[in-house]
Amino acid sequence: MSEAMLQIDGLVRHFGGVHAVDDISFGVERGQVLGFIGPNGAGKTTTMRILATLETPQGGDARIGGYSVVDDPEKVRRMMGFMPDYAGVYANTTVEEYLDFFARAHDLRGESRRKAVDHIVEFMSLGDLRDRHVESLSKGLKQRVALGRAIVHNPEVLILDEPAANLDPRARIEFRTLIRELATDGKTILLSSHILTELSEMCDAVTVIERGKLLATGPVEDILQRLRPRRLLSVRLAGPGDRLERFLVEQPGVTNVHEAGPCIEFEFEGGDDEQVQLVSRVIGAGFPVLEFAAHSAGLEDLFIEITEGRVQ
Amino acid sequence: MTVARVVGWLEDRSDWLSPLVVKEIRQVVRGREFSLSFGACLVAGLVVAFLGATDVLAGGTAGRWTFVSLMACLAFLGLAVVPLGAFNALRRERVEQTFDLITLTALSSRRVVIGKLMTQAVRLTTLFAAMAPFVAMSFLLGGIDFVTIAVSLVVLFMASLWMCALCVFLSALARARALSAVIFAGVGIALLFAAGIFGTAFRAISMGIFFGPLGGGPTTSEVLWILAGLSTVWLVTLVNLVLLAVNRLSLPTEDSVTPLRLGFLAQLLLFVGWAVSFLFEPPNIREGVGLMLYRIGCIHLAAVAVFAVTERPAVPRRAVLRMQPASFPGWLARVFGPGGGRGAFTVFLQLLILVGALALFPIDPYDRRRILTAFGYLCFYVAVPTLAFRLAFPKYATPARLGIAMLVTLAAAMALPDLLYYLIFQPDLLSLEFSFRQLLNPLQTIANWRIVETNGWGLIPSTIGIFGVLALVALVPTGARLAAEEASVGATGRQLESSAAAD
Repeated sequence: MSEAMLQIDGLVRHFGGVHAVDDISFGVERGQVLGFIGPNGAGKTTTMRILATLETPQGGDARIGGYSVVDDPEKVRRMMGFMPDYAGVYANTTVEEYLDFFARAHDLRGESRRKAVDHIVEFMSLGDLRDRHVESLSKGLKQRVALGRAIVHNPEVLILDEPAANLDPRARIEFRTLIRELATDGKTILLSSHILTELSEMCDAVTVIERGKLLATGPVEDILQRLRPRRLLSVRLAGPGDRLERFLVEQPGVTNVHEAGPCIEFEFEGGDDEQVQLVSRVIGAGFPVLEFAAHSAGLEDLFIEITEGRVQ
Repeated sequence: MTVARVVGWLEDRSDWLSPLVVKEIRQVVRGREFSLSFGACLVAGLVVAFLGATDVLAGGTAGRWTFVSLMACLAFLGLAVVPLGAFNALRRERVEQTFDLITLTALSSRRVVIGKLMTQAVRLTTLFAAMAPFVAMSFLLGGIDFVTIAVSLVVLFMASLWMCALCVFLSALARARALSAVIFAGVGIALLFAAGIFGTAFRAISMGIFFGPLGGGPTTSEVLWILAGLSTVWLVTLVNLVLLAVNRLSLPTEDSVTPLRLGFLAQLLLFVGWAVSFLFEPPNIREGVGLMLYRIGCIHLAAVAVFAVTERPAVPRRAVLRMQPASFPGWLARVFGPGGGRGAFTVFLQLLILVGALALFPIDPYDRRRILTAFGYLCFYVAVPTLAFRLAFPKYATPARLGIAMLVTLAAAMALPDLLYYLIFQPDLLSLEFSFRQLLNPLQTIANWRIVETNGWGLIPSTIGIFGVLALVALVPTGARLAAEEASVGATGRQLESSAAAD
């Protein structure tokens, strides 16, 4: 059984009458990248701040590496790096001094501190910027420095709140690469973003919340499978498709057969094996198949399908 | 190699206290504010020294006024500019959202506050060092002795650091940007006044009020005793300001209440200890000291009560865990820990200590009754609104709302009787003389206690006082009950969750 590095159980946080986080539970396994998605005001940032020990839950608990964020916040902070949705930079401070300060603040001393700062500078490709003042950097570079700050003490769990917001395409690609590298290094990562196409490329699984409530959690394909048990398939023939339509309607598991431009589209209920058999039958029946495609729904489809877009 | 090792050791020591010091000093030194204040310091010193030297060449002894002028400059920087910088240092962390980032590190709130304060201490030392050659010159110019110079510099440094601690605490009070800006403006104005007052005090010192030419003041050994006493009070109050700031900056999961309670108890014991040291003096001195202890104790108790009584009754989970072991820290946490009516208990305990200490002094029975009434009023206006609010609206009884309830009750008690009287009876003249209807007003009643006793109105203040003390005592079990209720609600919730999970 895989080990949950980050575990949330029945977390509750209210602000007056607003239920920012309302009894949510999910876990992130070691080395997994989990996308945390939901509309604005869904409770993502509050959940992340509770995980980062900056807020206290009114109910439930969250554990990082087995330590409770309420009972052992100091140990949690040692295991976790948090990057909020703002850079948080100091005036009159160079990149190296900035990272050095946070390394000191994490109680890294002497040679280990210098090594940690050098490693971050190298890993984040900040070598040329070492002596530049942080506040003078572009948004993308500030985000890079902020990520460096979050991992300077080599935490096992990373919590990133909208890390790619307002970045230009190049900075976004660079950022995505860094996240993947960190995941390869074995870091457990929970990250929220509104750029769903990007999340789907980075994440192994997603958790969707809305109005403080958990709507779905797990690998995107599994959630989609649960939401849409039928697959959307299409066949393109090198000729007219009238006969194929009639043929498909008679096949088991096939429904909603219709023409879609040059293709015949239909819904199919069944697994991979059943799909292989269907393709074999179509070809075996002598249809001149030019193209056979399965249309997989993406994270955006999932998001639209399960959220209602209501805010508190 | 040895130098590198020493530097490394120094770095480690500095980081152990707070890594903020190195970072902040770098920022301060590169900032415009420091360049301006340091430059102004040097220019002022040069101008004053030049004028002093000119006066000496003309045959005068310019040492005293040179020193006074230099101290005025230093007082402005040390009591206004630097403390304002201390206030701003913490405010900026909040505005620029870097405070959360520090909180996420291994730095505790205590190390953050100490770091902020030490940075200002280094800044003050730099400014004092910049002025040192000119101050030395004032001694050489004649007319002022070394002890006066040394005492003045030490007192100014201590006062400046205390002001910095006060400013860090005030800065810690406001989380919202708007409130922080309002406090910043208020603190700025207040510090300018403080600098003016201290400037005048140093002028008095240099004129020989305490030492030297005017005579009649205390001897050098007496001055040293006074300084030792002041230093002790300075240190204890400074520590308590730091603890207050730490308390305001701490996350709810941290227990910053126990050290604060112990700090304020130590402060009270210090005042009592100081007063008790006069017990073998003649009766008139003892009575004067007793009355002084009453005044200081009243201010101390009011400050402690306002914060301690209004705290949330819920006991954080971590504090509960800390209270469990049968060790000395566990025992301390059970008595002085957060929530559960312990705040009211602390106030009651300090009240008992104060009343017990005052019983040792030969105070006139008339003053004794007045003192007890004052304590009774204090308990009444702190405990009665808090108890009423807690019982009527337990869910809405936040510390801020309870503080407002106290203020509103006090303001109503001071203004309403007169207002109602003039609305109902509509007299021709607005009489400001003390009368029966003002017995609810604590300040008026205490100030006019002789009239109260002469007219035999003592029963009403006594009743108010007894109600106040009873309400304070009642807050202890009420707080414990509310804490237990909150804990049981949490436990029920957890039980439901676990049974649901089991299903």
